[in-house]
Amino acid sequence: MLKAARNSSILLLSGCFIALSVSMFTEILSWILILVLCAFVMRLTLYFEWHKSLPKVRTLNLLALLSGLALAWFSFQLGLLLSMVNLLVMASALKLMLLRNQRDFLQLVATQVFLTACGFIFEQSIAYSLFYTAICLLLLLSLAVYFAPGLQWRTLSKKTAIMILQAAPIAVVLFLVLPKLGPLWQMPSQRGTETGLSDTVTPGDIAELSRSAKLAFRATFEGALPQPQERYWRAVVMEHFDGKTWQTHPTRVAARRQYLNANAEFTPDVSGRSYRYQVIAEPTSQRYLFALDVAIPDGSRSNRQIWQDHSYQLFSRDILHSTFVYNVRSFPETALDDTLFSLERRLNLQRPDKGNPRTREWISELRQQFPVDAEFIRAVQRFFVEQDFRYTLQPETMQENPVDQFLFDKQAGFCAHYASAMAYALRLGGIPARMVAGYQGGEVDNDGYISVYQYDAHAWIEAWTEQRGWVRYDPTALVAPNRVMFGLQNVLSEEDSELVGEPLSLARLSAFPLFNQLRLLLADIDYAWSRWFLGFDQQSQRDMLRELLGELSVQRLMWLSVGTLLGIMALLALFFLPRWQRDTRPREVKAYETALMLLSKHGIERTAHIPPETFSKEVSRLCSAGVAATFARLTRLYINTQYRNGSSAVHERDAKTLLSDLRRQLKQQAS
Amino acid sequence: MARSFALDLRSIFIFPSVFGGLFLLLCLCLFLLGTNYQNNLMLALCFFLVALFLINLFTSYLNFARLKISLGNTQHVYAGDDIRFAIWISQHSGEENTAHGKLQFRFWLQKDSIEVDVDSTQNPIWITLPTRRRGQYSMPRLTVSSYYPLGLYRCWTHLLFDHSTLVYPKPVPCEMALDYLSEDNNESESHAITRGHDDFDGLKSYQLGDPLYHVAWKQVAKGQGMVSKQFSSSQSSSGWLRLLPCSADNVEHKLGQLCFMVNQLSQQQVTFGLDLGSVQIAPDSGVHHQEACLAALATFTWGKHA
Repeated sequence: MLKAARNSSILLLSGCFIALSVSMFTEILSWILILVLCAFVMRLTLYFEWHKSLPKVRTLNLLALLSGLALAWFSFQLGLLLSMVNLLVMASALKLMLLRNQRDFLQLVATQVFLTACGFIFEQSIAYSLFYTAICLLLLLSLAVYFAPGLQWRTLSKKTAIMILQAAPIAVVLFLVLPKLGPLWQMPSQRGTETGLSDTVTPGDIAELSRSAKLAFRATFEGALPQPQERYWRAVVMEHFDGKTWQTHPTRVAARRQYLNANAEFTPDVSGRSYRYQVIAEPTSQRYLFALDVAIPDGSRSNRQIWQDHSYQLFSRDILHSTFVYNVRSFPETALDDTLFSLERRLNLQRPDKGNPRTREWISELRQQFPVDAEFIRAVQRFFVEQDFRYTLQPETMQENPVDQFLFDKQAGFCAHYASAMAYALRLGGIPARMVAGYQGGEVDNDGYISVYQYDAHAWIEAWTEQRGWVRYDPTALVAPNRVMFGLQNVLSEEDSELVGEPLSLARLSAFPLFNQLRLLLADIDYAWSRWFLGFDQQSQRDMLRELLGELSVQRLMWLSVGTLLGIMALLALFFLPRWQRDTRPREVKAYETALMLLSKHGIERTAHIPPETFSKEVSRLCSAGVAATFARLTRLYINTQYRNGSSAVHERDAKTLLSDLRRQLKQQAS
Repeated sequence: MARSFALDLRSIFIFPSVFGGLFLLLCLCLFLLGTNYQNNLMLALCFFLVALFLINLFTSYLNFARLKISLGNTQHVYAGDDIRFAIWISQHSGEENTAHGKLQFRFWLQKDSIEVDVDSTQNPIWITLPTRRRGQYSMPRLTVSSYYPLGLYRCWTHLLFDHSTLVYPKPVPCEMALDYLSEDNNESESHAITRGHDDFDGLKSYQLGDPLYHVAWKQVAKGQGMVSKQFSSSQSSSGWLRLLPCSADNVEHKLGQLCFMVNQLSQQQVTFGLDLGSVQIAPDSGVHHQEACLAALATFTWGKHA
């Protein structure tokens, strides 16, 4: 039975638990959070003895049953991963209410450590990592308090801190040297919380994304950066249109799977100038990757991890559960596939048979007017320029015949509206066209890398002409050229910018140099964190070891593992051997022993059975008066320390001076 | 075999506790999860916990090895009472070298253990051992264990102290049955004197075992040396307590009665002897005599009597 009142370890544990749960509030159901709060308040009242008795086991069993049923109901919406995390939090809350003995306590601590680790699935930024690390250390402290409740807080935290500091270097060695493995099996991902672009776009969706200020990815360039108007990061190509929504064509998905199974990767022929860069992608729980124009994987590792299909779209072979680093090379001057297969042609001319009658009418007229493809496209573009189109994040909803409404009635919308309308118009005119979703722009930081945020999400189209193959057209650029040149925040109206997430508002402070510097510094730190820690994978490890050892032969790796083991052992020896062998005898005793040694050098030996006092007398008989007196005092100190009062600081000092006196006197006597 | 132990490499056992096992399982889970999600933070946490586990092996051991455990004096008790052993935990001087944390003490084959927090408990620590029968009790093996600092390891040692203690028979209240064998003539007289046992009779030189409240402090203060007041009752009557022939079932009861009488007579400072057949203790009085009688009762074996 565990004492609940004034039990700091339990209170600390409860504190960690509630902090942990609150930090995951987006993942955890609100009623479970309330349960956690109840458990915490219960522990608080027990700690301060406002209330003395624990709830009955039967009451709690009933509560557990009800909560379990409720969670089972919600789990259909949550998906496996979130259900598991919710279950863990719920069970911990109930356990905390019930906590009665040591076993409960220890189980709960272990569960909290595990929950902390689960937090890393959801959040990997520096701030959250620091927060979760702090929680983890506090959990360890709560364990320490539990096993040494009488120790003062200061001593206890010092001792725990020492342990943690000792463990840290060993952990670093293990992290760097233990071989990194690829995923062993497929893990459940968060349903509905996939971040970033999805493979369907209904105009308006990307507007939602623009309200998020989360980082999407970073790209570090070797050499020159591409111009702002060149920064079209392709991600998802959508070829199926049902009148409202664009999505990846099922035929394309099937073809992609076939090629993947046959391991027949599409490799574009590339030419012209190129950009080499490394992309550090934030976790998206999806597979698509980002690259400029036509891109090919750069280096053997990226080659292995990245897959390309016939729509020039890049994929990762594994789902992006955490930060993913890859190298690519983009060729802006290479035309996208100029041979259009009949399949692709069919896919990209597909359009719904009904709906949007005004657009149909307009296009058939326009097509008659401009039978040449290039002229027709130009005419459509001109329409966007000449009409009074407006760029906004909050377009009115367009339910019936959305393209008609957008083109002729509302004439206000976001990039996806423009792209959707133009692609549809071109398809009606018999020109293969498709929508491409991705990111446009990005912020250039000091160190020459580009940070792309979710609010940089963008949609544009690609249209196919006989002469030029797939060509990128961006109708948004016609309406709001600043969007492409200077980024989103420069084109938003007053009320629109209210909607955009917080770093944008921080970015608005860029007028103040100090704030801006701070913001960029934080971005730099975050970049280093993502690149060197979160992005440290199999390949980085191999590169590091290669730099360290040269060629990675079996023999060298064996030496490395032996060396690591020895290194860890050396660290342990460094930490503990001095304490192990430290002479804990009081200084007076040590001084006496040294004196005995000095005397024996001068031929005066004390045999073991002679009591110290008798020996002192013998010394006075054999030596000069000075030596005898000093030694007699040392003997007295020795006896006092060993058999009477123990050691004291004053006596320790005396012993030291006496010993040096003795040394001097013995030398005098000898000479 | 000793009365004091300093723990060292040869006497300490150390093994991961159940929680330590759970902790390693947790590390394994974190490793699998971290690998599958390709999450470096999770892997780093996993390696940190493994390193901490390794560090704890030494921290735990070194802490335990600082303990010095010695046994204090033990009071004799009556059967049915608990023997209370006084355990002294001595530590080396200086904060650096003291042991910390909770310690569990448990006797061999005993269910209950007592838990002591070294940092907040005053010496000595009392550990009780229940008794049921009279006789010589040697102190059973004492297991001392500690989970400091994080409960990942259990350090323990088995201490076998070179110590035994006597458990006297449980006193059974009964009629006084003092047998006056010798000096029959004085019987009535002695009884008369016994009644007035508070009367001051004279002074004698103090002997070890005389109660302190009989010391004539006035005389001591005058520098006449330690002298005891003698009261008329304390030296008067002298009789024998006898163990009458009885059956095996009955003997414990009889011994209990004798024990009660020994205590009563000693309290009244009556001079008496004890005759158990095989063992005889000449009439005397005082604490030492009482102890000798009780010891004889405690160690009496039925076979010898027959």
